[in-house]
Amino acid sequence: MTAFSIQPFIEAVHDSRERLAALASRGRKVLGYFCTYTPIEFIHAAGFVPVRILGGGTPIEQAASLTPTFICPYLRQALERALRGEYGFLSGVVQGYTCDVACGLINIWELNVPGDLYHTVPLPYQDSPDARKYFRQALRELGERLADIGGRVTDASLAASLDLYGNIRRRSLDLYRLRSQGRLALSAAELLSVVQAGLVTPPEDYLPMLEAFVEAAEARPQASERGVPVLVSGSVIDQPWVLEVIEASGARVVGDDLCTGLRAFSPPTGRGGDPTDRLMDRHFRRFPCPARMKAQERAPLLVDLAKGSRAEGVIFLIQKFCTPHLADLPVVMEALEAAGVRGLTVEMEETGLNEGQLRTRVESFLEMLGD
Amino acid sequence: MEKAKKSYKRLRSAKELNRVVAEFYLECHEAKARGKPVGWMPPMNGVIEIFYAMDLQPVFPENWSPVCAAFGLAPRNFEVSAGMGFSRDLCGYLRNIVGYVYGPMNEEGTPLGGLPEPDLIISAYGGCVPAMKILHTLERRFPEAKVHTSELPQVGYEKIRPYHLDYCVSETHRLIEWLTETTGRKLDYDRLKEVVRLSDRACELWDEIMSYRRFIPTPISAAELGVMFVMVTRQGTQVAVDFLTGLRDEVKERAEKGIGMIEEEKLRLFWDNIPMWYNMGLFNYFEKMGGVVVAETYSAAWSMRLDPDKPIESLARKSLVSYPMVSCTSIKKRRDMVLKACRDFHIDGAVLHSNKSCVPITLGQMDMKRALEEELGIPSVVIDGDHMDANNFSVAQFQTRADAFMEMLLEKKGLTP
Repeated sequence: MTAFSIQPFIEAVHDSRERLAALASRGRKVLGYFCTYTPIEFIHAAGFVPVRILGGGTPIEQAASLTPTFICPYLRQALERALRGEYGFLSGVVQGYTCDVACGLINIWELNVPGDLYHTVPLPYQDSPDARKYFRQALRELGERLADIGGRVTDASLAASLDLYGNIRRRSLDLYRLRSQGRLALSAAELLSVVQAGLVTPPEDYLPMLEAFVEAAEARPQASERGVPVLVSGSVIDQPWVLEVIEASGARVVGDDLCTGLRAFSPPTGRGGDPTDRLMDRHFRRFPCPARMKAQERAPLLVDLAKGSRAEGVIFLIQKFCTPHLADLPVVMEALEAAGVRGLTVEMEETGLNEGQLRTRVESFLEMLGD
Repeated sequence: MEKAKKSYKRLRSAKELNRVVAEFYLECHEAKARGKPVGWMPPMNGVIEIFYAMDLQPVFPENWSPVCAAFGLAPRNFEVSAGMGFSRDLCGYLRNIVGYVYGPMNEEGTPLGGLPEPDLIISAYGGCVPAMKILHTLERRFPEAKVHTSELPQVGYEKIRPYHLDYCVSETHRLIEWLTETTGRKLDYDRLKEVVRLSDRACELWDEIMSYRRFIPTPISAAELGVMFVMVTRQGTQVAVDFLTGLRDEVKERAEKGIGMIEEEKLRLFWDNIPMWYNMGLFNYFEKMGGVVVAETYSAAWSMRLDPDKPIESLARKSLVSYPMVSCTSIKKRRDMVLKACRDFHIDGAVLHSNKSCVPITLGQMDMKRALEEELGIPSVVIDGDHMDANNFSVAQFQTRADAFMEMLLEKKGLTP
């Protein structure tokens, strides 16, 4: 394998189902999660493999009889895949409460898909001693639930998992840094493929792949400065071609505010006396999802991110019906405009995005930015 | 102004309710005029009782949305929020209240005088996402108001453990400290116990009133659901207890005398999800074929008891369970409650309102549909709608589905329309 190739990552995503099924059949339990606020280090420290559940643009058939049409395509497609048996390797789903739809979906999943463990962790929002005391107990309960299916979390195993995921996040941020410096010949879609592989690969297998890739990238700097710099904001993007179309329309994605991107990595670790403290600390200091913070507090962070990445515009790629993002949009849009950054909103529907339409909209947005 | 379609009410208490509603809003405006601190807060939690115990004035912006829907103000408010960039796919409560506060809020002729502006905002992280976002948006609209942000664990009803409750208790203490500091008013613990006793009595009466729905014919139907106004706004006061006592007496008397809602009650229906506030008359639609909506999911939100000797714990618990009881955090618990209600109240068929404005209540409905059919043999029909936005509801489609459903139910029972 040549080190600077995204092929291994594309293959890791492509073959993930077979690999994870094989892992599960050898007795290693795999647990799914929807949202990156799920304490995945805890799941891993118990001896299990946490895997992010993706929708993958699957057409809806069976999920139509269990869910209304007005929930986000991502979660509806995820359920569809589960009902089709594509997630047969999962022993269950563990989720941190972030949005109402994910919360409802795990409960519907539990009623319709066999599994050993279905659990939602009610996460605190604001950092305080009481909130940390509460969070610690919520994590203890998660530990008990994981123990029910044969897992065991110790301080040592949790510390090791935190280190492992910390390194993955650090290395991923390295890629972002190289890319923003124009030193990485990698399209946004390719970068997403690298990230995606990390969501569906056991972290101990993924880290060496990522490390080799980053090293090779650092050794072979290549400029990639073409296109109008934009930042992409939204939640889950699980189809890299969407970013491909955006860049093919004349934009260069210089930064993102996605949970399949920067929000999953920043910050890489937390501080604290014991491993649970470290996990909680990172939780409270994360670059926030709109479901976790008031729009008026998040908006300045997004402005800083856009400015810091020297983006001239922000393209919001929003899952249709996504309440947290849609409810914040007027507030963040106003803040961006006040800072001289313009925004474009594109809603991703269940039937997918129309490529031609997306291209036209992005092209006219870029033209507007040039005026 | 577009006139909303109100339900036809048959209880004496319905008239009494009009007085209670008018007096509540009058009290809110008088409080503002007299300089008593006015606080806007989320609905269905233990903050109400603390406000009444500290002689502060609670105002419920979410509850104002049904009032706007009933008075036909919602379409105008939707226009305002849409103009600000709030998507039409967002919850109608959010779009309505945002449009209301950013529009010509209390212009002349606003029903009930509108809402007095807040001195305090009890903002929140907890409950459903739109409820949180409503409060966060209100903070921006009223920058002069003092803000406290409470947390409430989002945990399924059957999954509540002591540590969830402990956190709610500490959050309740934090709120009380903040209110004391901000308003200079001290909480009298004995007064709080009395308020919690009244709140508990209201819940007890509520359960008793609902239990009369087991009678055939039912002495109270969903068309009278407006009575929950007292549970939303007046819990912890003698006003609620007096009103509910009168309602209980009336319902009890009707039950004992066998007086129903319509002449011949042929079909007993269950309604899942929030009503369409702009068209409460739908509840009466079924009557032409002898159908009465005997019960609904929403009323379960107040089916609980409080211990006056442990007022803080009781209020913390109330806050913790109210949202799960009617949302997708507890699909199993909700399903069990619906099945129990359908069994206890001898239900023939269920109407499931697939509510575009409320995802948390709509999710899980299909599993409920299946359980009703498989476990109780009760058929159900899905009606596409929206509790606030009439644009997401087709009356014609509703009538076609409702007619066919009732014909099927009548046939099943060997009856004719």
